[in-house]
Amino acid sequence: MLEPLPERFLAADPSRSWILYWTLAGLTTLGEDVSGYRHRLAQTARGMQNPTGGFGGGGGQLSHLATTYAVVLALALVGGEEAYEVVDREGLWRWLCSLKQKDGGFQVCLGGEEDIRGAYCAAVIITLLNLPLELTPESPAYTPDGSTNLLSGLADYVRRCQTFEGGISGQPNVEAHGAYAFCALGCLSVLGDPRRIIPEYLDIPRLTAWLSSRQYAPEGGFSGRTNKLIDGCYSHWVGGCFPLIEAALGVGADGNSIPGSLPPPAETLFSREGLTRYILCCCQDQTRRGGLRDKPGKMSDAYHTCYVLAGLSSAQHQWELSTNDTNIGATLGATGADAVWNVLPYLGGDDDLQVFEREDLVRPVHPVYAIPLASKDAMRSYFLAKGSSFDDDGAAATAPGE
Amino acid sequence: MPPKGKAAPKPKASEAKATQPSSSKKQPAANTPPATIAELSQLRLDESRPFDAVRRKQGLSALSRDEQTTWYAARFARQPAHARNRVPIKTQRELWRQVNEASIGLRALRDHTTKWGLAASPVVTSGGDVGGLSIEAFGEWSERRLRLTALEVASRAFRERRERARRGETEGKDRVVVTETDVDDEKERRREMAEVRQKLYGVVTGRFALDPEWDDVVPIPHEEPDGALAVIAYPAEYAEAISYLRAVMASKEYSDRCLRLTETIIEMNPAHYTVWLYRAAIIQALKLSIPYEMEWLNKVALDNLKNYQIWHHRHLLVDSYYPTIAEDAEATKEFGAAEQAFLTRILAEDAKNYHVWSYRSYLVDKLGMWDDPGELAAVEDLIDADVRNNSAWSHRFFLVFSHPARSTPGVAATEPDPAAPSEIVDREVSYAKDKIVLAPQNQSPWNYLRGVLVKGGRKLAEAEEFSSQFVVGLGEGGGREEVTSTHALDLLAEIYAEKGDKERADLCLRRLGEKWDRIRVGYWEWRRKCLN
Repeated sequence: MLEPLPERFLAADPSRSWILYWTLAGLTTLGEDVSGYRHRLAQTARGMQNPTGGFGGGGGQLSHLATTYAVVLALALVGGEEAYEVVDREGLWRWLCSLKQKDGGFQVCLGGEEDIRGAYCAAVIITLLNLPLELTPESPAYTPDGSTNLLSGLADYVRRCQTFEGGISGQPNVEAHGAYAFCALGCLSVLGDPRRIIPEYLDIPRLTAWLSSRQYAPEGGFSGRTNKLIDGCYSHWVGGCFPLIEAALGVGADGNSIPGSLPPPAETLFSREGLTRYILCCCQDQTRRGGLRDKPGKMSDAYHTCYVLAGLSSAQHQWELSTNDTNIGATLGATGADAVWNVLPYLGGDDDLQVFEREDLVRPVHPVYAIPLASKDAMRSYFLAKGSSFDDDGAAATAPGE
Repeated sequence: MPPKGKAAPKPKASEAKATQPSSSKKQPAANTPPATIAELSQLRLDESRPFDAVRRKQGLSALSRDEQTTWYAARFARQPAHARNRVPIKTQRELWRQVNEASIGLRALRDHTTKWGLAASPVVTSGGDVGGLSIEAFGEWSERRLRLTALEVASRAFRERRERARRGETEGKDRVVVTETDVDDEKERRREMAEVRQKLYGVVTGRFALDPEWDDVVPIPHEEPDGALAVIAYPAEYAEAISYLRAVMASKEYSDRCLRLTETIIEMNPAHYTVWLYRAAIIQALKLSIPYEMEWLNKVALDNLKNYQIWHHRHLLVDSYYPTIAEDAEATKEFGAAEQAFLTRILAEDAKNYHVWSYRSYLVDKLGMWDDPGELAAVEDLIDADVRNNSAWSHRFFLVFSHPARSTPGVAATEPDPAAPSEIVDREVSYAKDKIVLAPQNQSPWNYLRGVLVKGGRKLAEAEEFSSQFVVGLGEGGGREEVTSTHALDLLAEIYAEKGDKERADLCLRRLGEKWDRIRVGYWEWRRKCLN
């Protein structure tokens, strides 16, 4: 998929930057070292960057939050200064300011729709690149008294997307959908400590009930909406919500249960065995084509390969937020960005069958940033060291930890 | 001094014969007519350089001593002056004498005249070498080239004339004008030029390059850096259209031709979000008729059911159209009804299309269609058609409980709202119950029922009796336990917990995990922990 693609991929032209992330993330989750793509990716990404900030789906296309998110994550995956320095941070920041809306959310591109994908992608981009939070006077959300910034009102926007079913919709007042549940939890987990911010903005019992309802027997996989069929990609969109929900349950910052809060699950909130079985038995494209897919009868593609692997990773690992509360983020208003996540392979309860071979254990994927922990840390540290001001040619105007 | 070419006496026929090498008689090739133009030109070359041909084919020793001398003299004479002057003057004179005696033509063809070069063309096979063409095919080829040159001259004349017309120049007393016929002629001319070019060189001329209307735009072709990843091979016509798109977007042109350009690209790749936003900007800038655009969009939507961009485009159209009809209640109603009719049509194709439903909720809010009986009826029709259509259930909840007259701003969807009227809550509770009975294991109306009770600030226990009918003999052995809806059991667990009957609640959850919904045992066990 990274090499030249034939004409039949034309429909993917507006999402070429996504192909970069999906393929590099898939390879990384499988344990491959993708740093060898650094130079070629840097070249490719440059061709997608617009002089007015942000990245489009390909050359000559408008910058879009989803495609910018994909490029930034792909750059983080290959790592290294050459990749990081591709990003025109000042342009990106100005462009993000122009997308920020009065109600707290983000348009996905200039004149585009406002939705929760925008909220999550913006939160990830801002914190990975350590962008300043101040708004430009041109921003629709700008207030002369400086009372608003890039992240203000964002958690409230997320809250408005929770539906009566408990799940999350793409925009307020629409049907709950699995992909948006991940965006909501991911966004909140950037904005603050998941243990505090998720219960503050979302109805956890309803959300958990809805997420759990997405897993069906006998298949074992997840569906994206009530009464819809299972699709392998929700292994990540829904499966990836559980580490965040579990983190939000029960354990206070001091390691003790918060009085009156919900208890943590005894073992696990979803059937890891069921999900693993669905992925291994139904999602593998056994033809010469290889890759992973939605369901039997469908063809594999880069998107499903990436997210099915990420879902397998959530099924195979147990996440825990570090209980000491020293990780106050360097970016005020996005304290979740520096939350310390610990991960262990999930070994299963007494009754739980280990349904995969040791060598089929894939790498852990950061529960919020959807890349390896080290890739996220390396990129954020690099830009924290540069500071979040552009006054002095990127020199640290705001030192980390100040 | 070398004699001038003119001065060289023309060899008489008999003398010319004498200059033919004796060994040339041995060559049979002279008798077979050449098949290709490369062979023909070789033959001509050989005729003008008789000794060279023999030497090349058979070696110098095939020539007699005299012939060798003549060959050398010919070589000398055809050298440039500075090379000739390296030979002593006396020898030069001797050589010139031999040249004159042998009547050697000084203007012999040069060797490279046999190289015809390569051309990518469907008519040129044999590795693309034009020299491989047969003599007839070459005649055709040459005629085409002449034709192309003539057409190019005429086309340039058209462009110049159009430029003069643009500058307002005059011809005698009259202004220079370019008529529609001129443009049509030019279009026809370019069509022919493209055809000839295709035949000559195998190149395809794009439709925009053919169209005189686009002459003033310099396309910006898309180029990928070396080694770029996931480069998609663009079909030629797409690549051309995109290069014109980049050019007109860069110059911020909003015009009728740009609108047509967006349509062309949308036809080729409807997922191209950039072109949709540009199209919306053109419509806004030119203040084009929105109902007309909607009509076009309807067709595109029906052809591309899974497309995302179409619905945001429609959203933008309504954003700019609604203010023009907002004052006119009748027009607003009419517009809303037309939209409903189209939504019904599109949902008949794909009843759970997320983008369509997102647009629908936007439309209700924008046009204030809360009390439109047609909206609730449309949702009911869809639920009647498929009681498991959760999208329709979700829209119903929005329609009923986000009504500005009966909702409190800022109240979350999962929270009670004191503004929700009791009779509406009752109506919705019984609607949900009616649908549950049709298919008790259908989660949509159960979620709806629970959502309505919470929204109305009711106790979940209101649904205890109703839910109990789906659960028989809970916890009883001997095969007496029968659950026809796990969702009923789930709700009962909550109802018992609400009433403080932890034991009964725990039993419901335990049985769900043990028997009735085992895949979710982790969740049911967690719910049990939550009871304490």
